[in-house]
Amino acid sequence: MALDRRGFLKFIGGATAGILATPVVWKSLDDVSIWTQNWSWIPRNIDGANSYVPTVSKLCPSAVGVKVRLVDGRPVRVLTNNDHPLGGGLSSIAAAEVQLLYSPSRMKRPLKRTADGAYVGITWEEAEAILVEGLKKAKGGDKLAVVSGDETGTINELFTALAAEMGSKSCFLMPGEAQSAAKAWELMGGEGQVGYDIEKSDYVLAIGANVLETWGPVIRNRHAFRVGRPHGEAPAVRFAYAGPVQNNTAATADVWLAIRPGTEAVLALGLANLLIKAGATSPAADFADFKALAAKFTPEQVAAQTGVDAKRLAAVAQELAKAKRPLVIAGSEFGQGGGAAPVLAGLALNALLGSMNREGGIRALPYARKVVPAAMDRKALLQNDLVAWLGKVASGKSAAPQAVVFYEANPVYALPQADAMKATLAKVPFKVAFTSFLDETAMACDLVLPVPMGLERFDDVDTPYGCGQVVYALAVPALAPLVDARPAGDVVIGVAKKLGADLGVAAFADALKAKAEARGASFTEPSATNAHVSNAVLPVNGIALRADVLSKAIDVKAPAFPVALAPVAKLNVGTSKTATPPFNTKTVRRWEIQGKELYVMMNGATAAKLGLQKHDRIELSNPAGKFTARVNLFEGVINDTVAVPAGHGHTAFDEFSKGKGENVMRLLAAGAEPGTGLSVWTSAGVNIAKA
Amino acid sequence: MEDRQLNSSGCATDGGKCCGGGITPFLVGLVVSLIFGWWVFPDMLYSKKEQPIRFSHKVHMESAGMECKQCHVLREDGTFAGLPSTASCADCHSDVMGSDPEEARFVNEYVKTGKEVKWLVYQIQPDNVFFSHAAHSLDGCNQCHDFKESELCAQCHPDVANSDSAPTHFENKLTGYSKQTMKMWQCERCHANENHYGVTNSSNACFVCHK
Repeated sequence: MALDRRGFLKFIGGATAGILATPVVWKSLDDVSIWTQNWSWIPRNIDGANSYVPTVSKLCPSAVGVKVRLVDGRPVRVLTNNDHPLGGGLSSIAAAEVQLLYSPSRMKRPLKRTADGAYVGITWEEAEAILVEGLKKAKGGDKLAVVSGDETGTINELFTALAAEMGSKSCFLMPGEAQSAAKAWELMGGEGQVGYDIEKSDYVLAIGANVLETWGPVIRNRHAFRVGRPHGEAPAVRFAYAGPVQNNTAATADVWLAIRPGTEAVLALGLANLLIKAGATSPAADFADFKALAAKFTPEQVAAQTGVDAKRLAAVAQELAKAKRPLVIAGSEFGQGGGAAPVLAGLALNALLGSMNREGGIRALPYARKVVPAAMDRKALLQNDLVAWLGKVASGKSAAPQAVVFYEANPVYALPQADAMKATLAKVPFKVAFTSFLDETAMACDLVLPVPMGLERFDDVDTPYGCGQVVYALAVPALAPLVDARPAGDVVIGVAKKLGADLGVAAFADALKAKAEARGASFTEPSATNAHVSNAVLPVNGIALRADVLSKAIDVKAPAFPVALAPVAKLNVGTSKTATPPFNTKTVRRWEIQGKELYVMMNGATAAKLGLQKHDRIELSNPAGKFTARVNLFEGVINDTVAVPAGHGHTAFDEFSKGKGENVMRLLAAGAEPGTGLSVWTSAGVNIAKA
Repeated sequence: MEDRQLNSSGCATDGGKCCGGGITPFLVGLVVSLIFGWWVFPDMLYSKKEQPIRFSHKVHMESAGMECKQCHVLREDGTFAGLPSTASCADCHSDVMGSDPEEARFVNEYVKTGKEVKWLVYQIQPDNVFFSHAAHSLDGCNQCHDFKESELCAQCHPDVANSDSAPTHFENKLTGYSKQTMKMWQCERCHANENHYGVTNSSNACFVCHK
């Protein structure tokens, strides 16, 4: 039977009807929809047993105690560790640590700079040979400098011991709150490290110190806040904050006193005046001098300088006086450059409130003894002022060193007058960076040595500044290094040997063991935290209030610019060492960065005074530098002040940070604090013009 | 003039037969499609694979008196370990125990070399489905049912308790998933069963399974 056209159409009709009555169409549609989801880049769950490694974050400045969750031996997530003395929550940097292991800007192998300026990958043997050769030229007479970005680790002892063996004392920490506090405490005659017992306080007044975001062991602080304010119950602690911007601490606190930038010490003295009038006193020998100084800071005077009206000041003074265990914490809004005066004035307030070595007050915590014989101890290291030293090198007052070793530090990005600092460092013939990321400083170095990240190495945290107790926490590797990195401590010990120096420890692990022992810690048994706590305190006798120093240091001239500058630091944008973790890019707010443009904040009155509206493009300038940004209106900024988000404007790292926004450090110029000589950069101002 | 005449239905007649073969081509098309759709197509869609080792659940359950959970364990934290590792099989099979050549092959090729067997899994769900074995426990279901352990497992998995060899693994050539992978309607036999509400924690809300 021949099939004609009509018959064929019938056949097709029958076939179509038949096929619709089979799974062909429906199953195929379903399978295609599943197939479309099978892209290779979709992450897959890993099957396997869970395990947890208790450790402490070396990447986050809060030194948060955490647990790393591993599935089948591979780390997948950083979790809170409520048993850890530095835990009880998670910081946004620690939360991103697992992802950062795979960061595109992570150092994968040692690099050396060639004559044409390009980096080439080299072996560790070559790298160590270059390092030894470079350091040989820096022997004797402070020709070697060490800059460390780790404030709490025993690693500093190895680097400073190497420097000492080379005849140098030019060892520095990156600027932070600890240096200001150490200076203030030393001036007062205090022993050990200042600790703040936030956990047991019933009234915490933070002046400048951004206690819930950047000051001290932030996560421990937040935990104390949470525990002190149980949900649905009467709060056991009140928090008050004084600062120019309604930052995360101000937004969380019960009371926010908006003060002009750089007037923290004035506010503290104004409160001291009111407390003394109400009967507060101190056994300090120079109390009379202090009383006389404080008397000058009448509520009217304080209002004129800080912008806080007399009634609000009096209310806070009354709350402090009424509290059973008040605690005053003074510092810098953005964690650096505040000078000693605010801390000195804050500690004097604590003395007036009877908070010295009292539960819920100030605790003098003993330093741990050195475990590397030739090392510089933490007290001595905190006294060295990196910014002042670089200023001297820049001006030619000090000779530029032959070599500088940077350990997890990014001064090219993070120091005030960042551009000038970069130019100063260019004078140094041989620069080496031990780092996990190819950051701005690494980009300016001749030799870059990758170190394992915090999750990949043994390390330690010894009592971060601000902590109310002695805490010694061990960082334990959750995995072997994913790249060709070596622990910096072991590299330093090996290099020292090749230079003919014996640092007295055979391996970095031995130094850690010795430090743990020095703190009375034993990690022989499996532990849920790998941390040790001690309630040891030093006596606080003969504390002086140092009105003589304060009277000079407080002589802060208002910046001769129409608008004051208030940098705003937030942990989610990372640190100078990490830049913004890709994990956190979604937490950068809409009006902080748009595309590559930075938004700065000012209130409506300031904007109106300057003739600006939201989204206007402006130029911020002062002698230190200039950049353009756009305006965001935010009523949480004090009058005549521009708040600039910190942590942006990287010129290195990856697509998530590089070229996004501007670096506020370029607008900050360091000056010397009268009376203490400490570098300060919290009182800056800018000109603002439409761009 | 046109020779052909049209009938009342408009169809040209040719000696009493309907043009184009009447209904026959339609039926032929229908039957061909049905045969293709129900017999040929499924065969084309799936590739057949056998397990790397012929494994008898029956021997383990009947002769050794074992239960499902002895090998398919829930870990302490409630996660499901799934298939046992070579090391856990080696708890018993550190050496050849019986006369089955497959056991000898397993011991020689895997236990002695420490290699993991690449077992083919019949019911891997895509990552957009969150499934917890711990939540589907005997304790929970037997509040009302009276399942034996193997019966409960067989509500979703192929019932292998009585089989001497593992079923053939049919892999979908398009999706890569096994033919036995459960579809949502199969989950809903229990999840959408109103009799379960209020008695178990079962719910048919999207977020219960799709996180």
